[in-house]
Amino acid sequence: MRVLVVEDEPRLANNIADALRERCGFAVDWAATGTDGISMAEFQHYDLLVLDLMLPGTDGLAIVRHIRRRRDLTPILILTARDERETVVELLDAGADDYLTKPFDLGELLARCKASIRRGKGVAHPEISVGRISLNTIEQTVRCSGQLVDLSPTEYRLLEYMIFRPRAIVSARELLEHLYDYNWQHHSNVIEAHISNLRKKLRAAGEETSITTLRGRGYRLESPDPQVSPT
Amino acid sequence: MRHTSLSRQLIVGILLAELACVLLFAGVAILHEMHGRQRAFDVMLRGRADSMLGAIHDAEDTQDNVYVYSSELVLPKHDLWEVRTPAGHILGTSPGASPAAMTALGSMRTDGYVNLHVNGEGYRGIRYDGVRVIDRDEIPGGLRRPVTIFYASPTRDLWREALEAVRFYVLAGGLLLALTGIALIWFLRRRLAPLQELADVASHVSVRSWDFKPPATALQTAELAPIARSIDELLDGLHQAFERQRQLTGDAAHELKTSIAVLKSSLQLLSMNPRTPEQYQTGLDTLLTDTERMEQLAARMLALARLEEAPAEEGASADLALALRNVAARLSPIAEHKQITLEVGAGSPLVVALSSDDAETLCSNLIINALQHAAPSGQVTASLDRNVQIVTLTVVDDGEGIPPEALPHVFERFYRADRSRSRLSGGAGLGLSICKAIVERAGGTIQIASTLGAGTRVTASLAITLNSDDLREEKPEMRETVESFDPR
Repeated sequence: MRVLVVEDEPRLANNIADALRERCGFAVDWAATGTDGISMAEFQHYDLLVLDLMLPGTDGLAIVRHIRRRRDLTPILILTARDERETVVELLDAGADDYLTKPFDLGELLARCKASIRRGKGVAHPEISVGRISLNTIEQTVRCSGQLVDLSPTEYRLLEYMIFRPRAIVSARELLEHLYDYNWQHHSNVIEAHISNLRKKLRAAGEETSITTLRGRGYRLESPDPQVSPT
Repeated sequence: MRHTSLSRQLIVGILLAELACVLLFAGVAILHEMHGRQRAFDVMLRGRADSMLGAIHDAEDTQDNVYVYSSELVLPKHDLWEVRTPAGHILGTSPGASPAAMTALGSMRTDGYVNLHVNGEGYRGIRYDGVRVIDRDEIPGGLRRPVTIFYASPTRDLWREALEAVRFYVLAGGLLLALTGIALIWFLRRRLAPLQELADVASHVSVRSWDFKPPATALQTAELAPIARSIDELLDGLHQAFERQRQLTGDAAHELKTSIAVLKSSLQLLSMNPRTPEQYQTGLDTLLTDTERMEQLAARMLALARLEEAPAEEGASADLALALRNVAARLSPIAEHKQITLEVGAGSPLVVALSSDDAETLCSNLIINALQHAAPSGQVTASLDRNVQIVTLTVVDDGEGIPPEALPHVFERFYRADRSRSRLSGGAGLGLSICKAIVERAGGTIQIASTLGAGTRVTASLAITLNSDDLREEKPEMRETVESFDPR
């Protein structure tokens, strides 16, 4: 998952980014101004936007309006130092999904970020299952028939991204865009290597469902049971 | 406090004036009426006296005496009369008259009309010398018998009749008074309605609702329009000041909350995962920096509040040149560290109405600001110039300058042209606001000019306070300055 943090206070942005990387394994980009935030959000690489309300250039509310006007459905979480009711109502009405007032609890921020991403992908529960695989987004663990599968952080992130969209074709480019931030050098063959490792580990755990490669188009998480259901 | 009602005063005033008019009119009317009636009365008296003369008859005796043949006279019974011969012989007198009345009647010494008082009653009398000619048939030319006629009539009826004649006017005046009173109350209520409306609208203004629309009726009234407009302007000004204050409180809260959010998230991040001692040390160092910045923010907010709330200190004075030298000495390590040349031009003492703390804060805020924005290995110049009674502190840097659109806002609190950059250098957007507050509190002015890519110049102008002590001290110093600028 890739998150954009638009926050003018560098120390705070840094803390949020570090927490999202460390605790959730997300790729995080940072924009210090509203104007930068808008141009970065327009790529639609992000699975969540975390916006400060008071920003130089364009303020948070204007960014929300801009993004929603473009029919971009990326979940938006607003950070605000103002907890006046009108502001909150205005924000939610403009299309923001959630808000937190500063100073916030970092743990709560992470939980709300994860919840927003899940809901943005149409899943309500933090534990997602496909076939015999079940993925716990809180513990960041994967089990196959109840048995823990040992995955590297990147492999986990790959599976997490794909498990939200079973049976859909996900291109290598999309995976790159959603799993790595701007600081990372893009090499599409890295994805191929990680997919191959993930496939091997799942097979070793005895899972029949597998990730198939569709040459030139991408990857697909195959599942005997198309139903995605929380356990 | 007792309320005075303008409309009540107006009504009472007008009614009193009207009453005075009515009374004056009635008085004049009575006088006029009395004058006319008195003349008529006098003519009547004369007529009656004449008829008295006519009633004098020849007594047909040997001395050719005369007498008053009163039985053929028809006179009002309250009238008094007497007829005498020049010798004082009474020829006739009114029947039933009291002796007192007769004495009063006889007291008339000359011909003409006289007002008499008999037994407390007013009479008007006439004394008139007439000549009765008798025996015109027997003697040619007749016999002339001079007589003096005294005649008086009571004037009581005269007054009564005059009053009755005037009563109509008095009644009409009273009625008019009552009618105008009622009409005035109604009229004033109606005419003063715009005032009431204005008061109503104004009374609905509060801190929560600043809406004030002067009623059209008030704006159309010449006397009310200026008041309505003044209220409108006053409220506008107040509203803006209030909004500004609210904005500032909001900004201050935002700054504080953000600072706390930084601290809190740093702490939580540090405790989220197990870390190595080195990582903890780095985290703690960062936290300490964050805390120091918050401390500075709080100190600056308090300084600004103190400057803006408290009145200027009486008799505060500081040597701006000394302050500038002190600050420059303190800041030169920072300048050196940044490899910026800091040039200071401060010579003879220039005493201004600032406390020495404020003078140093002013200098240091301006220089720190310039150091932060100066170009790498650039130059910052701080100098003092004296122009008669004004000292100008100029701080110039050769940095990237301030965009024209940001320039008007740089003195606003919490304004940062480039937030992320100034944040890194520890600014909270209060430094220039504090400078402005210091300078303006001492009655000076502060200005900023900037060219993008060329640098920024801040100019603070303050009046030099000169008391006799300063003068004595300054004179030799001035000479010294002149010498030091000698071209030789």
